[in-house]
Amino acid sequence: MTEKKGHFDEDLELRVSPKLSEDLNALFKPQFSVPPELDRAIMDRANQRLVQRHWRHRIFHHISIWRIAAAAAVIIFAFSLNLTQKHGPSTSRTVLVKAQAVDIDRNGRVDILDAFKLARLIESAESTDKSLSPVSSTEQALRKQGWDINGDGLVDRNDVDLVALSAVRLDKNKGVL
Amino acid sequence: MKEITAIILMSISIIVPVLAQQSEQDITTVQPRVRFAPLYIYLDSGNKSLAAYQFELKAAAGQIKIVGVEGGQHKAFKEAPYYDPAALANDRIIIAAFNTGSELPKGRTRIATIHLQIIGDAEPDYELKLTVAADADAKEIPAKISFEKGERK
Repeated sequence: MTEKKGHFDEDLELRVSPKLSEDLNALFKPQFSVPPELDRAIMDRANQRLVQRHWRHRIFHHISIWRIAAAAAVIIFAFSLNLTQKHGPSTSRTVLVKAQAVDIDRNGRVDILDAFKLARLIESAESTDKSLSPVSSTEQALRKQGWDINGDGLVDRNDVDLVALSAVRLDKNKGVL
Repeated sequence: MKEITAIILMSISIIVPVLAQQSEQDITTVQPRVRFAPLYIYLDSGNKSLAAYQFELKAAAGQIKIVGVEGGQHKAFKEAPYYDPAALANDRIIIAAFNTGSELPKGRTRIATIHLQIIGDAEPDYELKLTVAADADAKEIPAKISFEKGERK
């Protein structure tokens, strides 16, 4: 029983002898003495740094809250303007602009008669060139007139449709009535 | 303290628009009734055959929305006419059609039907203007345009 007890650390003598303490002090004692002014200066510097960091952190924290608030306000304002509202379908603008330039009867306005006249010209071209090659002389003449509105190399019903759509465009005749 | 102020301001900026939108929705639910009705458009070309037409319609009074366009009575104009799709959900439309065939209507004929959404109890009034009417030779002809209100749904 006593033999077993002898193995526990708590029973060991932990006190350092004064001789050992003296020797250790002599060994690790600084070679030169630090003046108290320098000591104080270092402490002051460290304190200043800590205070600066603290304020920087506070200001950053403060600014970030305002940034979040401003961003939220901007998002809400954008939503209140209903920017997501989609406009109704509209025919391709570039194609219509081109169609607007086509005034088949050269009377200064694009209306359904332009489309009608172009359709009649195409029909008469088709009837006269029925037996001829796909690119007939009449069609070439129509193309030369600049009536290939969609630029697909053919003057056909698609070009007529573009002229007609240009005639019924809403923003063309604003305030006509 | 400032942080709390910021949080309060942020909360207000979120809550106020949401509440405003909600109240707006409440107002729209209280809005006057909506009904649908067709408007029949007629063109009288007299003794000349009608090969092409173009007209413009807009609401002069009342609140309407155009919801659809149908062709006419005669087979030459049975197909849906040309119109700007942007006119749908609008109160103004330009409609046009032509036919290069030989079977064309004469006299008074229904050229189109416009389906309307009428908002409110006020009876809407319309302005109808004929832009052009032409015969088979693409020559302009005198014609008279008119409309008839259809049965409400």
